[in-house]
Amino acid sequence: MADSLGAFEQAVLLSILRLGEDAYGRAILREVQERLDRDVAAGAVHATLEQLAKKGLVASRLGTGTPMRGGRARRFYKVQAKGVRALNNARATAESLWHGLRWPLKGYV
Amino acid sequence: MSMTANPPRWAEALLRLFLKPDDFENASGDLLEQYRDSVYPGRGRLRADLWYVSQVFTFVSPGTRLFAALFSAQFLIRTALDWFLPPGDFHFRSTVSTAMGITTLVAAGFWAAWRSTSFASGPIAGSLSAGIAAITSIAGTAIILAIWHSPQIMDGIRASGGFEEVVGLPLMMVLPGALFGAFGGFAGAGLRRLPPFCNPSH
Repeated sequence: MADSLGAFEQAVLLSILRLGEDAYGRAILREVQERLDRDVAAGAVHATLEQLAKKGLVASRLGTGTPMRGGRARRFYKVQAKGVRALNNARATAESLWHGLRWPLKGYV
Repeated sequence: MSMTANPPRWAEALLRLFLKPDDFENASGDLLEQYRDSVYPGRGRLRADLWYVSQVFTFVSPGTRLFAALFSAQFLIRTALDWFLPPGDFHFRSTVSTAMGITTLVAAGFWAAWRSTSFASGPIAGSLSAGIAAITSIAGTAIILAIWHSPQIMDGIRASGGFEEVVGLPLMMVLPGALFGAFGGFAGAGLRRLPPFCNPSH
């Protein structure tokens, strides 16, 4: 069975997919902030990436450093097959929950 | 963009203590890139430094928050018990709550050092947990008092050491927090440095 994903985990995974080859920490943070339309702490994204890697949903490799980063390496992330399955599953669950309801919700309360 | 601006060294050192060496490399690089690229030029030194410190705490706090919450809960439960169900002899209750508090602070130090492989993160995690717990438990005590303040409760407060103890004790735990965190840190970092055949992390 595919892993169930929280909303923030989905936001991070989808950001990695969107960024493609350029998916490293700061770019992912920026993408997540833009998509969620709110400030997000770097530590929250870092901890989520660590969890996703532990679950085998993403893999990472170290890139080269740049002078702007004081020569420190960037870690690039890639969504794994298991991550894609988990995202598909999350989308299917959401679709199933919303099935038969018109969005945006009106007239229920 | 400012290629030479640097965030406070102590904040970077704190970040190093709480992350594994590999993670520190890319996490600090990400923060430095953002600091130099957009935050420093847009906000100036002081606000950029404040931003950096606040970001470092988002890396430091997740695990420490858990231990702080545990420590704070122990304080509050002990306070509530003393106020609402004052015992004839406080000795047993004191012994149990002190042992639980020490265990929590040692565990906070152990966890931080195990995660970062750095001994020094132990005392920092211990004192940080105690510091956060002090603030939350004092606030919690004030809330309890705001809801229940009958003469019977006031008698319970007096019998258990008065308000001075309720406010003073949590604050006084910050230094012992560093000491007990150091014990945990010593154990956590030491265990991580054991050879692979007897290291539980392998």
